Amino acid sequence: MMPLSMVSSGEEVRVVAVRAGWGLQRRLADMGLTPGVQVRVINSQRPGPVVLDIRGSRLALGYGVAHKIMVT
Amino acid sequence: MARKEITIALAGNPNSGKTTVFNNLTGARQHVGNWPGVTVEKKEGSLSYEGYHIKVVDLPGVYSLTAYSLDEVIARDFVVDENPDVVVDIVDASNLERNLYLAVQLLEMGAKLVVALNMMDVAESRRYQINVKELSRLLGAPVVPLVATRNQGTQELLQTVVGVVKDNIEVTGMRLQYGREVEEEIAKLEKVISNNSLSKKYSSRWLAVKLLEEDKEIIKKFEEAQVG
Repeated sequence: MMPLSMVSSGEEVRVVAVRAGWGLQRRLADMGLTPGVQVRVINSQRPGPVVLDIRGSRLALGYGVAHKIMVT
Repeated sequence: MARKEITIALAGNPNSGKTTVFNNLTGARQHVGNWPGVTVEKKEGSLSYEGYHIKVVDLPGVYSLTAYSLDEVIARDFVVDENPDVVVDIVDASNLERNLYLAVQLLEMGAKLVVALNMMDVAESRRYQINVKELSRLLGAPVVPLVATRNQGTQELLQTVVGVVKDNIEVTGMRLQYGREVEEEIAKLEKVISNNSLSKKYSSRWLAVKLLEEDKEIIKKFEEAQVG
């Protein structure tokens, strides 16, 4: 298990948990990011955001948020 | 006697083509202001169609209707408090799963929903094939395909809106099942809620679901209902 912020571009991972308060968990869940979902990292080059392919849409996350998302 | 003044609200995700649809419907007859007391922009416009005078209110683009952001609270409150005759949800056909999340929430709230399935050209270019009839059946609401940037489907959308107002077209909505444990809790809450004055304005089931989500706006409403 590792933080999403450390996943390389092109890799596919599965979300295990979100280590954050209720507000952020809720916001991420609204965007489709829930435990068990498969995502593909489209772009993870600093300083840019982490861009994901999730449920057929693209989602951009700041590194701070990506760091709280645990994946395998 | 047929009512000739109707109000429709445009809902949808950011970048779903809502503004384009708004412009197609209202042309130059638009007015921009603010939602009362806040700095969020409010756009209203109007048009005449088949003897109806239609007021169009553009709601803020949102992904969801929770209590966590001002845009969402504005959109949600308008649907519940102002009770527009029809809510048109502009759905990006090339991002269906994400966009339908909002549609389902609107249906759960009891909105008279028409789904405007926009960006059909983009979906087609990605080789997506969408069974519009089946989607409509599953949602319990009419679905109108559009390509708003080409002003295609606007007339069909207006026909459908008027059809819903005239009750020729039914919006039955859908009932999402949340699984046995959650449904049991919902049933318990619904029983208590039906005695509360709030259930006259909002669906008991929707209130029960919001309470389980610990929706702070709804919790506040219940607290206010106790005091009053």
